[in-house]
Amino acid sequence: MSGFDLRKQVPNVVVWLLLLTMPLWMNAVGGYTQLGTQVVVMGLAAMSLNFLLGYTGVLSFGHAAYFGLGAYGVGMTIRYLVPSTGIGMLVGTGVGALAAAIIGPMIVRLRGVYFAMVTIAFAQVFYFVAFRWNHVTGGDDGLTNWTREPINFGFATLHIEQDPVTFYYFVLAIFAVAVAVMALLLQSPFGRTLIAIRENERRTRFLGINVNFHIWASWLISCTFMALSGTLYALLNNFVDPRALYWTQSGVFVIMCVLGGMRSFWGPLVGAAIYVVLQDYLSSATPNWMSFIGLVFVVAVLFFPRGVLGIFRRKSVE
Amino acid sequence: MTGNTSNNINRRRLLQAGAVIGGAQLAAPYLQIARASDVVKIGMDNPLTGTYAALGKNEQIGAQYAVEQINAKGGILGRKVELLIEDSTSGDAGVAVQKARKLIDRDQVNFILGNINSSLAQAIANVANEKGVFNVDPGGHTDSITGTNCHWNTFRVCNTTATEGAAVANVLVKNMGKKFYYLVPDYSFGHTLAAGVEKAAAKAGGVKVGEALTPLGTTDFSSYLIKAQAANPDVIIVLQQGDDGVNVLKQIVQFGLEKRFHIAGAQMELEVLLGLPPEARIGTWVFEWYYKQPNVPHVNEFVAAIRKRSGGHVPTARTYFGHTAVWTCALAAEQAKSLDAVKMAKAMQGYKLPPEISLMPDGAFYRAAQNQMIGDLYVGHAQAQGKDGPEDLFAVDHVVNGKDVSPTLAETECHMTWPKA
Repeated sequence: MSGFDLRKQVPNVVVWLLLLTMPLWMNAVGGYTQLGTQVVVMGLAAMSLNFLLGYTGVLSFGHAAYFGLGAYGVGMTIRYLVPSTGIGMLVGTGVGALAAAIIGPMIVRLRGVYFAMVTIAFAQVFYFVAFRWNHVTGGDDGLTNWTREPINFGFATLHIEQDPVTFYYFVLAIFAVAVAVMALLLQSPFGRTLIAIRENERRTRFLGINVNFHIWASWLISCTFMALSGTLYALLNNFVDPRALYWTQSGVFVIMCVLGGMRSFWGPLVGAAIYVVLQDYLSSATPNWMSFIGLVFVVAVLFFPRGVLGIFRRKSVE
Repeated sequence: MTGNTSNNINRRRLLQAGAVIGGAQLAAPYLQIARASDVVKIGMDNPLTGTYAALGKNEQIGAQYAVEQINAKGGILGRKVELLIEDSTSGDAGVAVQKARKLIDRDQVNFILGNINSSLAQAIANVANEKGVFNVDPGGHTDSITGTNCHWNTFRVCNTTATEGAAVANVLVKNMGKKFYYLVPDYSFGHTLAAGVEKAAAKAGGVKVGEALTPLGTTDFSSYLIKAQAANPDVIIVLQQGDDGVNVLKQIVQFGLEKRFHIAGAQMELEVLLGLPPEARIGTWVFEWYYKQPNVPHVNEFVAAIRKRSGGHVPTARTYFGHTAVWTCALAAEQAKSLDAVKMAKAMQGYKLPPEISLMPDGAFYRAAQNQMIGDLYVGHAQAQGKDGPEDLFAVDHVVNGKDVSPTLAETECHMTWPKA
């Protein structure tokens, strides 16, 4: 942090300008507000995963579990306990964080593909619970018959239930807080330690740093924000189904990170935007849309190995 | 890449530029011009990929034919009709919901149709209800859609699982024996279907001598078939669908069970029979519509028109559902003289479909306070080879009037809350 460099702020300014003005231009380019909301929600999810994947260098293939736990947490709270969006989001995020905190110590000693495999295994446990526990979760049919409720702050009430633009800014505000917390953590000595682990785990260990604890903490933070984005996803659709927990969903988050660029802070958001918009457009245009998404992914990996944002980075290095 | 100065264009940079330009091409059609508002839009959120792709395709053909017919007659309330089609996938309710919202929020459809998969149909119905959009479920069968989770704005063309179960159970008990063994696919739709058949069979005097729950995606059914055999039933009820259905029927034939027991099930689709090897086309089933109804007016014209549009293939129950669903929208608007969803839904309460749409010997109507279409069901047996061409794989033995086998309104547990005007 050596002084304030205006040029370094350019990406931040561009991203925030685009996000803040989205409802103004989205319809004009053929999109719709909900699509923008989905980009922000998925972007938050991918950025949460990237906290672990890009900045700690640990690949999780089971993050959909915490996304889904957040989603089911908010849905089931509103449906069965209290009709309150705020409490639902707290419960959803809390449940996701709790699960991650408990599972974390069991897996932090594993590395590489073993870590990825065990995260899948744990995630599938949650998937099958949601899939089979029909009378509580709705099983394969999904959890329906609940809707997001207006949020009462005491002095004012925020009506997010109908107007898509209000809901978009509500999501964007939460996104901003979450992203700011992640950015601050990454700037802190703690965040620098994570990067050190990514770059050379053995050397970090020799420095006397408790690597497993740091990976656990990074995992917990990542999963907590994942659960938060899961709650937003459920609120966006007023619906959750077990596929939100399925391992292919975890794969989609990894794809978003790789597509956008794992080494840059905004990369996963760009990846999520590309993935969500492409899926939305292509799946309306052709039944073979999955092949095209696969093709885009292959092209990205071949030509932009550091993700789409990797191009800018290479340029600035040159 | 050493020695390159930044203003040299190297191969990698060129490829990157190419990819970016290519991507831009892909994005361009996304900039679409807003459509004229004098068009009535019907959004169809139905599977085009996955297990139900073949069924979805046929519903689409039926729907497109109906749109052609309606436009030829001057459209809906004098406005041209446009059908917007989205792929819901065969099993991903999240995508189906997303597509429903896209059709309603971005495309501003007046009607939304879907879905073949019961779970997806229920999810779409809930979105439509939240948004107050007139919704027709052409072919998702689970009871709740016009039962415990019914909505004032959701109308269903195909039958409930309870009705299908009742239609076949009566015929089975009367003609084949009382002892039933059930092969049940182990997920929610399978369980409701089994419950429906069991309840109807019990009413008709049938006895359950056992059941086997088979996980979705089972390929080897031999252990279940051995259990079924040991229970010594009169009838083995097969409730598997899709690929599971194909596998279980093939293996029943390999075991020779069809010679010792009656094989029967609830719903069967012509698309599924076409996918079976001839020797596995066995058993007693319910069809919800069949193209061979020589004495019912307008059916032959419908068959001929569809053959022209589908490369010579006959319409199936799915084609019929798609056609009826779109016509339901047009008729609702015509009856209400408005595109207001509440007015249209009110106008359809108890509405009897004209014969050129219902295409059934006893006609069909939407039962008031449930929005469920009640028509005829066709109980019959599958045949390896029909005398009427390669697609004549079903022989209708009994036409059952839906009025006689449908659960009563109280039994459906449908309680609608209408929006305040």
